[in-house]
Amino acid sequence: MKATRDWFGSELVKIGDTFDNVVVVNCDLGAATRTLQFRDAYPNRFFEGGIAEANAIGVAAGLALEGYRPFVASFGHFLTGKFLEIFQSVGLNDAPVVLVGSHAGLAIGKDGPTQMGLRDLALIRTLPNVAIYQPADGVETNRMMEHIAAGSQPVYLRLCRQPTPEVHTPDYVFRPHHPDVIVRGRETLVLTMGGSVHSTIESLGGMVNGESRPTIANISSLPVLAAPFLELLDGHDKVVVIEDHYQVGGLTDEISRLLVDNRANVEFRAVAVTDYGQAGSPDDLYARYGLDARSIASTLRAVVAA
Amino acid sequence: MKIHPNTVPYYRPNLNPSPIMAANYLGKLADDVRRQTITMIHQAGSGHVASSLSCVDVLTALRFSLMRWEDSSRRDTFVLSKGHAAPAWYSTLMIAGDIPDTTPTLRQIDSPLQGHPDRQRLEFVDASTGALGQGLAMALGAALACRMDQSGRRVWCLLGDGECQEGEVWESLMFASAQALGTTTVFVDHNRSQSDGRLEDVMPIGDLAAKFQAFGWNVQTIDGHDMRQILRASHNATQIQDRPSVIVAETKKGFLRDGHIALNGAHGATFDDDSASQSLAVLGGGR
Repeated sequence: MKATRDWFGSELVKIGDTFDNVVVVNCDLGAATRTLQFRDAYPNRFFEGGIAEANAIGVAAGLALEGYRPFVASFGHFLTGKFLEIFQSVGLNDAPVVLVGSHAGLAIGKDGPTQMGLRDLALIRTLPNVAIYQPADGVETNRMMEHIAAGSQPVYLRLCRQPTPEVHTPDYVFRPHHPDVIVRGRETLVLTMGGSVHSTIESLGGMVNGESRPTIANISSLPVLAAPFLELLDGHDKVVVIEDHYQVGGLTDEISRLLVDNRANVEFRAVAVTDYGQAGSPDDLYARYGLDARSIASTLRAVVAA
Repeated sequence: MKIHPNTVPYYRPNLNPSPIMAANYLGKLADDVRRQTITMIHQAGSGHVASSLSCVDVLTALRFSLMRWEDSSRRDTFVLSKGHAAPAWYSTLMIAGDIPDTTPTLRQIDSPLQGHPDRQRLEFVDASTGALGQGLAMALGAALACRMDQSGRRVWCLLGDGECQEGEVWESLMFASAQALGTTTVFVDHNRSQSDGRLEDVMPIGDLAAKFQAFGWNVQTIDGHDMRQILRASHNATQIQDRPSVIVAETKKGFLRDGHIALNGAHGATFDDDSASQSLAVLGGGR
């Protein structure tokens, strides 16, 4: 069992072999973001920017405008903290930078909210030309990295610290901006992303026999396209979002906008982080904010029974 | 492409054997750029007059002499980090005949001549800038690319002195030094004034040259309105291969010619009909 940051680190080395325009700008978190393997493999394509994320983002933008596909990596919380640089040097320039934000959500645990990537989606989602990708497992990380390396759109790649089991089979096909159905059920549609995908699947074990089984979809890229979403929504009259992010500006808002825009007549429920978060063990934190498998099961039971 | 009627037919000045002639010629081109800048901002009714005019000499030297330009695939990269001087760069490109003369559209909706440079809308803008402090980092990224490509291309960047109050500038200075980016030459338009007043009064930045030196850069300080000094310092900078170079260009806000500045050099001031005419009259040969 590995975390998506681990899968990212090894995939980065692989695509570095195929795509010689892939380079890395590091922010003194190469061990944590798993970029050091790339440094060892391609030392001349690895640039250490130190604890200076604003400059690192700008350097990546400059590399990108000259034809490179730079990955600039740090904790998502720190990287998106330099939002003015992301807005202008990357976004407005349409510079094909890959912003790699690791340690998404509460999972960093004991280090607390000054390190947690809990408002990264809200910031990045405002930029009309930046795609947001968050893989749920190793197979999806592999597909996404191949897609990203071959592309030229600015990207925010959101990665998890916590190891999670595989949820896809090796024949999985990544379709950007399409919902990825993991469990086909009925009546209730559960939408989630990243590390919460497995917790949501696990929560089904806590459902009582005889309760109708919900559909679970992995939303691994934002924005979500309306047409495939509405197709998936068909036949469901309850929608639940499970999100390891603040409740404003992320998946909850994305889905509620789609529902309102399309006059969907559904019951809607969202579970997300409602305050700044705090230090604690990841297990305690996910339980506190209703995002562990047991809490998700109780939320789903209530929604299904309603 | 239509050439502006005021354009002096452009031939890349041959710096060898007569740098004095080249400097004189560039000085005349700089006056053309100044006239164009004044007219453009006057017609737009807004724009940063003083900050544009303080760097016209440097921009003219860059476009007409310093930057490798003719072969588009091997053109040097230039980042105007102080993006509010955009009218001066647009004027330089127009005088050179690189872009059509669309002077009246400055700052108008849908114009390629945005209030701050936008690479998505105008060719020869290598990086979109505007919020201060970001251009140098982008220039350094481009310089890393040039070094990897071994293309021999150079990267140039123009910073404002007030802009050097931004922390990112110092991150970038540190990074360039750590990467030994000798293909980078930075000008600082040291006009000593910013939005709310003199740098000395708003927040002193101290001895810029000494600070750059402490950050490991090759530093020269020049009169930023003396074309010969601009050319000489730039030539010196290109000889330094093992570290980045910065040229602190001592300039005057709103510079027209020696002893004359537009609008008292005020950062926020812009032209009315009278002040525009007066400034053009100082330059002589105005339209």
